[in-house]
Amino acid sequence: MVTSRIDHKWGMVVDLDRCNGCQACVVACQVENNLPINDKNAFLQNRAYEWIRIERYWEGDYPNIKARFIPILCQHCENAPCEPVCPVFATYRNDEGLNVQLYNRCVGTRYCINNCPYQVRFFNYWHPNWPERLQNQLNPDVTVRTRGITEKCTFCIQRLRRGQLQVERRNGGELGDSTLRAGNHMPACVQACPTNALTFGDQNDAQSPIKPYFDDVNRYNIHHESERQTRGYRMLEDMNTKPNVIYLKKVDPNKGSSGGHHG
Amino acid sequence: MQEGRVLSTREMNRDLLRSILDTPRWFWPVVTVLGLVLLIAAIAIGIMVNRGLGVTGLNRPVAWGFFITNFVFWIGISHAGVMLSAILRLAKAEWRRPATRAAEVLTLFSLMTAMIMPIVHTGRPWRILYWVFPYDFARGIWPNIRTPLVWDPSAILTYLTSSTLFVIIALIPDFAVLRDHTTGIAHRVYSVLAMGWEGNARQWKLQIVAGVLLSALILPVFVSVHSIVSWDFGMAASVKSWHSTVFAPYFVVGAVHSGVSAVAFALILLRWCYGWQDYIRHEHIDALGRLLIVVATGWFYFLVMEILFGMYGREPDELMVRQTQFTYWPYNAWFIVFVITTYFIPVILWLSRAWRRNLWIMSIACISVNIGMWLERFLIIVPGLINKQLFTFVWADYRPSIFEIIIVAATFALVTMLMLLFSRVFPLVPLYDVKEGDVLKTQVQIGRRTVPATFRED
Amino acid sequence: MKLTRRNFLAWAGLSAIGAVACDVIQDDELSVQSPRSLPEDLVKGRDNWYATLGRNATDGEGVIVRVMEGRAKKIQGNPKYPVNMGKQSPRSEAGLQALYHPDRIEGPMLRTGPRGSGQYRSIQWEPEALDILKRELAARGNGMVLITEPLRGHLGMIAERFATSVGGRHLCFDSMDDTTYRAAVNGVFGESCLPDFDLANANYVISFGADFLSTWGSSTRLATAYGEFRQGSERQAGGSRGYLVHVDPRFSMTAANADEWLPITPGMEGYLALSLAYVIISEGYQAEGVDVNALTGGQGAAALAAFAPENIASQLGIPEQLHEEKTAAEKIRDLANNFAHHGPSIALGGGSAGAHTNGQFNLMAIYALNYLVGSVGSNGGLRFNPGAPLDSLPATASVGSMADWSKVASEIRGGNTRLVMVHEANPVHGLPASLGFENTLNRDDLFIVSFSSFMDETTVMADLILPDRVFLEDWGDDIPDPGPGYPAMGIQQPVVNPLSDLDPRSFGDLLLSVAQEMGQEEALPWASVEAALKQTTETLFAYGRGTSRDAGSAGELWNLMLQQGGWWDESATGPTPSAPAGLLNTIAAQGGQPSFAGSGDFYLQPFLHNSLLDGRNAHIPWMQGLPDPVTTVAWQTWVELNSHTAEAMGLREGDIVSVTTGSGSIRGVLYPNPALPPRVVAVPLGQGRRSGSDYATGGDARESSNALDLLSAAHLTENGGLAWAGHMAQVAPTGESLKIAKFEGIFPARQIGHTPGEAVILVTDH
Ligand SMILES: Nc1nc2c(c(=O)[nH]1)N[C@H]1C(S)=C(S)[C@@H](COP(=O)(O)OP(=O)(O)OC[C@H]3O[C@@H](n4cnc5c(=O)[nH]c(N)nc54)[C@H](O)[C@@H]3O)O[C@H]1N2
Ligand code: SF4
Ligand code: SF4
Ligand code: SF4
Ligand code: SF4
Ligand code: SF4
Repeated sequence: MVTSRIDHKWGMVVDLDRCNGCQACVVACQVENNLPINDKNAFLQNRAYEWIRIERYWEGDYPNIKARFIPILCQHCENAPCEPVCPVFATYRNDEGLNVQLYNRCVGTRYCINNCPYQVRFFNYWHPNWPERLQNQLNPDVTVRTRGITEKCTFCIQRLRRGQLQVERRNGGELGDSTLRAGNHMPACVQACPTNALTFGDQNDAQSPIKPYFDDVNRYNIHHESERQTRGYRMLEDMNTKPNVIYLKKVDPNKGSSGGHHG
Repeated sequence: MQEGRVLSTREMNRDLLRSILDTPRWFWPVVTVLGLVLLIAAIAIGIMVNRGLGVTGLNRPVAWGFFITNFVFWIGISHAGVMLSAILRLAKAEWRRPATRAAEVLTLFSLMTAMIMPIVHTGRPWRILYWVFPYDFARGIWPNIRTPLVWDPSAILTYLTSSTLFVIIALIPDFAVLRDHTTGIAHRVYSVLAMGWEGNARQWKLQIVAGVLLSALILPVFVSVHSIVSWDFGMAASVKSWHSTVFAPYFVVGAVHSGVSAVAFALILLRWCYGWQDYIRHEHIDALGRLLIVVATGWFYFLVMEILFGMYGREPDELMVRQTQFTYWPYNAWFIVFVITTYFIPVILWLSRAWRRNLWIMSIACISVNIGMWLERFLIIVPGLINKQLFTFVWADYRPSIFEIIIVAATFALVTMLMLLFSRVFPLVPLYDVKEGDVLKTQVQIGRRTVPATFRED
Repeated sequence: MKLTRRNFLAWAGLSAIGAVACDVIQDDELSVQSPRSLPEDLVKGRDNWYATLGRNATDGEGVIVRVMEGRAKKIQGNPKYPVNMGKQSPRSEAGLQALYHPDRIEGPMLRTGPRGSGQYRSIQWEPEALDILKRELAARGNGMVLITEPLRGHLGMIAERFATSVGGRHLCFDSMDDTTYRAAVNGVFGESCLPDFDLANANYVISFGADFLSTWGSSTRLATAYGEFRQGSERQAGGSRGYLVHVDPRFSMTAANADEWLPITPGMEGYLALSLAYVIISEGYQAEGVDVNALTGGQGAAALAAFAPENIASQLGIPEQLHEEKTAAEKIRDLANNFAHHGPSIALGGGSAGAHTNGQFNLMAIYALNYLVGSVGSNGGLRFNPGAPLDSLPATASVGSMADWSKVASEIRGGNTRLVMVHEANPVHGLPASLGFENTLNRDDLFIVSFSSFMDETTVMADLILPDRVFLEDWGDDIPDPGPGYPAMGIQQPVVNPLSDLDPRSFGDLLLSVAQEMGQEEALPWASVEAALKQTTETLFAYGRGTSRDAGSAGELWNLMLQQGGWWDESATGPTPSAPAGLLNTIAAQGGQPSFAGSGDFYLQPFLHNSLLDGRNAHIPWMQGLPDPVTTVAWQTWVELNSHTAEAMGLREGDIVSVTTGSGSIRGVLYPNPALPPRVVAVPLGQGRRSGSDYATGGDARESSNALDLLSAAHLTENGGLAWAGHMAQVAPTGESLKIAKFEGIFPARQIGHTPGEAVILVTDH
């Protein structure tokens, strides 16, 4: 069926200077991926599901205080610590650079959860529960996960697949970045993000807007970070997990001064 | 000279088979109570499997808690059997004789109990076959041999198999004695188990060689099991305070520490239950106490190194875990309890010969070690997860739920119950071994002390 | 077996053969296998995306809805819609859960128990429900009031005409009304539509109290522009990055994202703005071609001398620790200097800055700054929207001010209004409790009709409930306000049919048919809203501009509009206003300090919840379960106090505190916020719902309360808006505490070591 597919290597760039912490990406992901509803107990018990979450860090003290928002989703590590520890290969790397999760195989050891340094894996402590009528809204392209298994961001693989099928049906061609950008096939969080803080693309596509950032960060590794031409970095880069998500540093013109103006 | 009376074979048979041939009055009430505890735990497990692990106190990021702590604890206990039997047998330590059987059986039962823990801890225990046995070749479903979670069952099952063999080999002569003391169905069962043992020279030789061989073979397995269990943690590169090369020896020594203490306590208990004062004697307990001082100090060295290395490296992630252990309530309290109960209370008590021979004090010391060692595993596992990375935003706390507490408590009931039931059917003190020791009992003067001569087979 | 040479050779041979054989076997049969495909690979079925309008956001968002097998599956921004350009707010997706909500009202109902008891019996639309409606309209139409959500376009027109035709009036309801903002815009720019801010091209923005990165204004549009303002592609090339200063007594989301946040004494925003104006004029910083004399009535800087930084700096409450080496006056002078010299600059204000007794003064002073730096109608400045594409359509919603609602209440009490009809509005929850609107409605001689799809505090008072379709099932339209800077009209089309167990009827169609049966064909001649929209399409086609140019016929235009989500004309622009003479000295002359209602140690700062807003989304589980971006609290009403203040009061996170003003008292869960000014207590709206879905009403009064209960309905801005930011409050412990339902872990998160989210120092030269 899938014949002339080029080798994709998906990636995302998160611009921390654009993100305003609005959480549009969070709901968009929950809706697209049939995430269980975070009821009050989910928060009281520290079990809320957000495949993409916005972490808020305080910096400084009143009145020279900042809140920094950092969207964190699965980094789709090339060298993913979550993968080798899974006894049943329920999580593994696919040939498009995604760290995928095969819900059906997962036995729920939660070892991968421990070994993911980014804490983006979520365990289904309860059976997910939607009132009957609300079930009409569930996305038929995405498995509803049962209790006892681990789930996480998939880079919206169902959207990539749908996009691939459509493009193949149309011209037997490849799913290039332009198609992704034009259509609805970018991940739900990327599509929603009002500030365009999230950019998705194919690292193998020379035209992709994410490409320069990946090239830059790959060219100058952590030991030569200062030589990078962009604001790009990888989270916990020293762990060498080689994420396929690159962050662009927040720009703070007042950093180092006591909060006054730079001018 | 060895302490204690000189007993005839008849007396020995009577005493040591007492647990099998007649039922003490307390036996059935105790078993019933333990059974009730197990029943409650079975219901708890049923509910947990049915409704999901939400009934536990686990959360994000603390995905492992009481169950895994308990797993490591029981694996630790299981090390005592081999430690005593194999090492002492190879080292020909005479005082081991009455202790070996109980120790070996404790190994078996604590191993089995330990295996329950990771199974009930998983989200879908009924699918565990996927993981333990690569049963579905046709679909190419293989387990992932890169994960310690696959090494674990291999190591544990190997250990279980070899220790079972070890126990059975040692039981054969005793089965024969039982065969000769019973009638009816019991007689027939023991006959089968005794496998035609007649006690001739060839059989004795084979039995002894098998015992020695198994002792030698089982030792690497014993070291590897707890090393591998420690790798469940050591291999977790993302949990800074787990990812440590020292874990293997540290865990093995810790296991011996808790296991031997548990055996010592079990022996005291059996002595009291079945009136085996003549077999489990003060000198045996004393010897175990002396051994434990060495083990405990070795273990303590690792503990200090582990903490020192972490602090010395000044890695912020690791320092945060230490900070949790040392300063956050209730971990700081548990930490103090842990250090005192694992090392300072028992070792101080063991230093005195008189106290080593006081069974009450020995019991307290041994229980203390095991409280401490349980806490040790808890303090490694939970604080490490609470703040495993620099994402302070997700740091959360963990409190076990009543389900976890019940199930963990029930594992203690389970081991006790299995030991009791075993003692009803098989001798918990090896008849032949004790008799053999008795036969070969001669006195040798070494320096100022009189010690029993060792037994040489030839 | 003994190892002989023979044996050895045999074994060696065998292993060699084995090795070769293994090599011949397919590679993947030996290697450890992992499946290459996920269940997600099997994508089946066909989906359709329909363009329509989203109604759960504060601004009019164009959305596209994914429909599969007759069920709506996903709502997301319509890339073609000029307001939000393919993006969406976190509120946007709520529509889906409204559509399939388990607690939707299933069909028409008539009250059986006492008013407010929630006891109803189901009735049939025909003839019972409609007969009652017609009967009551005929009997009580005169003086009736039709309360709806802010409605523009056709629905606004139909509601307006309907109310007038039966002898009543139509009033839109918004608990945080924009009366004062509109009055200020009108006063400064002479415009009735709201301005659009070209943040994308601006370099320097001072925002006063307007939390535009959360809920204020056209927030999705502004967020998109904000992204460009920070790191637009041209900026990245040129190295210039927009600089945002936010002036706000509360640490809002916009404050959190600002390069500089200036905590200010509530209500003093206008003083600061005039002080900036004074510096700009006295230092001659104004943009080229700005006629300072005209703006100041010929007086120049002297007109504003009273507001010179040195004179007023001490009253603004700017904390000393902020940029310590400078005095407050120097800080103001710096700000004015940068604002004037790093243009294009924008000064925008709203929210709490306008919700004071001097709110209109504040906002006028703020917006007048734009004239001084030449950013009215320019690139990177403020753009004004033309009115509606058709004159007959209202381009702004007539939102009632607090004064209007007091009047409505007194008319009900006086017996002049005997019929109240509400649609998608919840004044009982959304008006300050001190107005006593619930009591007002609790009268025997009053007949109340609700067209709500959900039970709420107002609907539960109704005699007759005639559930409307939710927007994904219904026709409609919108004229965005604030718009994109050119004329636009969005079309809302039904993307799915109501589920078979539901029997709602379209509110618009109902009004039309009832009006016609009552003989009002002239005012409301259309068979349905759809028909009205189609008729408008013909007129639009005749205009021949914008979208109409792409269609060959009115029918084609209709299809095109349905496909792309509406009609717009990008080539047209709005007016460029010029300053009224003597604007600045007039404003300066009005200048008054704010007065505060009640007493207490704390300035009370209520604010709209990021996802629940004033409570209208409180029944949507996704919205309840979305953590507040700053505090990360969900499902509860939290009370923010400065961490040190809380500590000094012996309070800890999770303690239940009471907040008391002269008008009321509520309880909430304390969240110590390290960034809140020490004298401010901030409480979100949104919770405290008492009737309706369990999702909305869950949680007892300790953790779910309505901050509007604290406000005085008599505390108004100059033009009758509610001065909701001008209250003093007392905060006291109750001795109880609860676990706070928040997403953040157990510590107030700070970055340690090598950080997850690093910041880089960038020295920009504007
Ligand atoms: N032949 C040869 N010799 C070399 C070098 C070489 O390249 N070749 N390299 C040299 C260099 S550069 C170095 S740095 C040295 C390194 O030499 P060492 O410092 O000896 O390094 P290791 O042997 O790796 O580790 C020391 C001990 O620390 C234990 N340990 C590991 N993690 C922990 C922990 O978390 N806690 C505690 N308590 N203990 C822990 C390990 O189990 C081990 O026993 O070797 C030097 N010697
Ligand atoms: S971020 Fe975590 S879950 Fe994702 S690939 Fe990396 S280790 Fe695995
Ligand atoms: S929880 Fe599931 S995916 Fe994770 S390691 Fe265990 S079996 Fe694998
Ligand atoms: S890529 Fe898809 S699955 Fe991953 S966070 Fe974004 S929306 Fe969720
Ligand atoms: S939607 Fe975009 S701006 Fe909003 S929180 Fe997510 S990444 Fe940040
Ligand atoms: S030391 Fe580094 S490279 Fe070696 S196994 Fe550990 S993580 Fe991998």
